[in-house]
Amino acid sequence: MTESLIVLYGALPYLLRGSLVTIAVVVGAMMIGVIVGISLAVGQVYGDRWLHRLIAVYVWFFRGVPLLVLLFLFYFGLFSLLQINLSAFTVSVIVLGMISSAYQSQIFRGAIMSLPEGQMKAARALGMSDGKAVLLIILPQALRLSIPGWSNEYSIVLKDSAVAYALGVMEMMARAHFVASRTYEHLPLYFAAGFMFMILTYLGTKGLRILEEKVRIPGYSS
Amino acid sequence: MGKKFLWALILLVAIVIAGGVYYFKQGPASAKVYINGIDANFPPFAYVDKDGVPDGFDVKSVDWIAKEMGFTVKHQPMDWDGIIPSLVAKKIDMVASGMSITDKRKEQVNFTIPYWKIAQVIVAPADCTQSVDELLSNGNKIGVQRGTTEAKWMKDNLIAKGKDFSLVEYDSAPLAIEDILNGRIVGAAMDDAPAKDAMRKKPVKIIGTFGMASEDFGYAVRKEDTELLKMMNEGLQKLMASPYWEELKEKYKP
Repeated sequence: MTESLIVLYGALPYLLRGSLVTIAVVVGAMMIGVIVGISLAVGQVYGDRWLHRLIAVYVWFFRGVPLLVLLFLFYFGLFSLLQINLSAFTVSVIVLGMISSAYQSQIFRGAIMSLPEGQMKAARALGMSDGKAVLLIILPQALRLSIPGWSNEYSIVLKDSAVAYALGVMEMMARAHFVASRTYEHLPLYFAAGFMFMILTYLGTKGLRILEEKVRIPGYSS
Repeated sequence: MGKKFLWALILLVAIVIAGGVYYFKQGPASAKVYINGIDANFPPFAYVDKDGVPDGFDVKSVDWIAKEMGFTVKHQPMDWDGIIPSLVAKKIDMVASGMSITDKRKEQVNFTIPYWKIAQVIVAPADCTQSVDELLSNGNKIGVQRGTTEAKWMKDNLIAKGKDFSLVEYDSAPLAIEDILNGRIVGAAMDDAPAKDAMRKKPVKIIGTFGMASEDFGYAVRKEDTELLKMMNEGLQKLMASPYWEELKEKYKP
């Protein structure tokens, strides 16, 4: 037991540096997810038939194919087909971001559709263009409503990021495994890694909770 | 809803992604630094030390060769399963990480001269009194690392020929050791070097070999990189003739 604790103590700085890699992957992926996700949601709600279909295929693909397969496809496949040589880190961020955008688009779509139809009509009646109405009237409301669902997505991406280990990204799980292989103390190290994931989940969801309170419009929430 | 706005939005996203892809479109192949892919779960040949720096018999060997032959090397820990695809896809430039030279692998990559002879052994708990034959029977469960030559050999030559045991495949040899200690498998097959490493750290012992011919370790490089192959061969010959080779053996006890 003491031996495990000594190993754990010695490995902590190394694991903590891994948590920075994990955070970098998650933040990068979530940013891609938000930008692409919002675009997809707006397109799916207001776009024409063809755009709608196109987005549906995108969402279907990225929700339907397992993460590991997508990682290999982008890491090895892109290279052999197009000679695009991306680093393991970049591929992990892009793939996690695109998967997340598929999920996030549905969160945002749900939020947009939950708004009363009159909002859009009123904005148009005031002389706003379509783009302006979406940007200034629809999205500010929809995004507020999306935060609870979005915090779900955050914790999922956080944990999915551990799969990036398969490509050799030196995130927390990979590091825990490496230290365990050297010291043969698997259980304490995986336990520590799991605990660190829990802390990151807590911090993230707590932050989003605060954000939710901060941006709430008094008397408007229903 | 104005289609222009939507298409502009989509175009923007596409440009951002394409830009990002272009920006990051530089792999190890374009740099002058050679990347050595290692399985960092393979002590004592390759692992990461306490500070997270790659270390081990192979890592230090390549470092010496790099210095001698005048190139820079970076060690990239990665998953063993994908290490040959990574080499072929130019993600890494060589694999110096206890890789056995086999005909199957030779179809995809080139190997340097052999630098280490390794035997495959069965490891069991320190208090085990059974022989290898007894362990590999009675429907016992035997652990092995996925994607290794011993995993393939046992399937082809023992299980396919009616030996009554089953294989449990693990991500790494140390994980198999963990499950031996848990009692979930009676023993595990692995290279003798990591087995000795495990013996020094945990209550397990080597029971014996199981009939698989010994293998040679070599460094793997891409087929077209003949220049690198030549350089690594020359470096290896120099290394094995130098006193540092004995120092390495003494330090890592492979």
